[in-house]
Amino acid sequence: MVVYGLSATYSVFLWRKGFRQGDRVNYGLLLLAAIFHTTAMFQRGISFDRCPVNNLYEAIMFVLWTMVAVYLVVGLWPQLRFLGAFAAPLFLCVGVFALMPGLDNRYGAQPEFKHDWVSLHAALILLSYGAFGLSSIAALMYLTQEHDLKFHKMRAIFSLLPPIQRLELVIRRLMAAGFVLLTAGLVIGAVWLKLPEGVGYLEDPKVHWSILVWLLYLALLFMNWRFAQGGRRFAWGAVGCFLFVLLTFWGVNLMSPIHH
Amino acid sequence: MPIVAIGLSHRTSPVEMRERFAFAEAKIPEALQTLRSRGVAEEAVILSTCNRVEIYAATDNTDRSIFEALQRFLVEARDYRGPLHEEIYKLSEPQSIEHLFKVACGLDSMVLGETEILGQLKKAYDLALRHKHTGGRLNKAFQRAFQVAKQIRTETNIQRGSVSVGSVAVELAEKIFTALQDRQVMVIGAGDTSEKTARALLSRGAQSILVSNRSYDRAGALARELGGRAVHFEEWAKEFERIDIVISSTAAPHYILDRARLEPLMKLRRNRPLLLIDIAVPRDIEPEVNFLENVYLYNIDDLQAIADDYLQQRREEIARCEAIIREKARALAGAEPPSHFTSGSRPVFGHE
Repeated sequence: MVVYGLSATYSVFLWRKGFRQGDRVNYGLLLLAAIFHTTAMFQRGISFDRCPVNNLYEAIMFVLWTMVAVYLVVGLWPQLRFLGAFAAPLFLCVGVFALMPGLDNRYGAQPEFKHDWVSLHAALILLSYGAFGLSSIAALMYLTQEHDLKFHKMRAIFSLLPPIQRLELVIRRLMAAGFVLLTAGLVIGAVWLKLPEGVGYLEDPKVHWSILVWLLYLALLFMNWRFAQGGRRFAWGAVGCFLFVLLTFWGVNLMSPIHH
Repeated sequence: MPIVAIGLSHRTSPVEMRERFAFAEAKIPEALQTLRSRGVAEEAVILSTCNRVEIYAATDNTDRSIFEALQRFLVEARDYRGPLHEEIYKLSEPQSIEHLFKVACGLDSMVLGETEILGQLKKAYDLALRHKHTGGRLNKAFQRAFQVAKQIRTETNIQRGSVSVGSVAVELAEKIFTALQDRQVMVIGAGDTSEKTARALLSRGAQSILVSNRSYDRAGALARELGGRAVHFEEWAKEFERIDIVISSTAAPHYILDRARLEPLMKLRRNRPLLLIDIAVPRDIEPEVNFLENVYLYNIDDLQAIADDYLQQRREEIARCEAIIREKARALAGAEPPSHFTSGSRPVFGHE
């Protein structure tokens, strides 16, 4: 996590410099972090003698590991290496979030997700947050580039960022993909999952929270589609909603008797 | 076998003189044949563009008389009878190789760092190669020059950015729109700079061009030239719904487009991004419109400032480029047995 933190700090300097060239230092830092991360995951897997994706902490770390691996592959192309400057702060946030207390619960001899539907429910929802996370990265790129273009900054032209129209399309598509995954995950949770005796959906804070998140993204997509609310507001919406998810997920999880 | 270079360029001679020395492409193979059959050079390439006429030759003649022979050839071939003073430069190794590399990288070009010259140099080399007027020495030098040009392009910022208003506008458009292919451009007011800007956008694939001018005839004439359509000046706003890029350069003494007028038009366009390029003085577009969402307004000073910044950046890169070139030229010259030339053949350009 320290190396992810270093990379995120270094990214601040890259932002100030503008994204003129793919930066090897940042790529190296993230590579180093990924090596530590992989080693830790292996050690954990060997010590428990099974794939370390059994509780929420491990699931989040696994999602983070996948995202870092995707970046490292994409970053092999020097033209796309600048993406690390946007991804590193997100990696740090996700990693810090995974370390929050209460997520790394002990588990018994059997994995907690023994039912297929439960696994699918959790996997789809985690994937949807991954898509929302990527969409917020694209939104950060959009906001940077849009600001530079508005205020006639030289780096708008010098940077390696793609055109803002394409970035907006990327935000929209990733968000729509996340929304579909979230919907599917929630539907599975609501229809096929059996709850323990005496627990209802309607009293569970995480269910309320998930519906709120679902409504937020629905509103963003609907405004974008129906009222042409694109551009800066849409990008801020993507960043804001994901920040909301990041900041409240942990607390809501602890409050939920079903999910805790 | 050392390489020598002789020629004249925009740095040493006016256009009237350069055009007298220029070779038509069809005549170059014949000229190269003459050079070799007279024994002046064993291998030769002639580069003739609007900014320079140069002969690169590889010869066993290590005497300075080679330059006299080459100059005599040049003068006779073009039947030049006027006086010659400092216009023709004569370079021996390693300056000749350094010069070739600089030319390939656009460091010796009128527009610093431009890339067109590399294509012209490749063409000149290819012509000589096809007619078998090059050999191991020039082949190696030219191939190396193309490699150095590529290295300079990727490792330095000498070729990054645009140094003209028109090309800056194109770059801005490319940072806003996914592709220029489907973009509709409107030119309001037909002026020289707006025409150049429109042409630059067209050359990158922008779709239709609409031209609106107070004089409908002038609008029609420009529209025909640009392959677009003329629109009556009073009706340009009606076309706005489909427009993505506006280039405005009218002589109007007041704003022709202000925030109050643009706001409803943006709603009609469903808030798609709009690039406004105002190259008129006094300005045609109220600066306030830049505060509208998805509107990007650039006036002539903004564009010029970007172009100047680019130029400044390119100038700052010269030292880095020259260091790379010097190293590569010495490496190439070092691979050959030393020539008997003293480096007395003067490097003509003060900056080089």
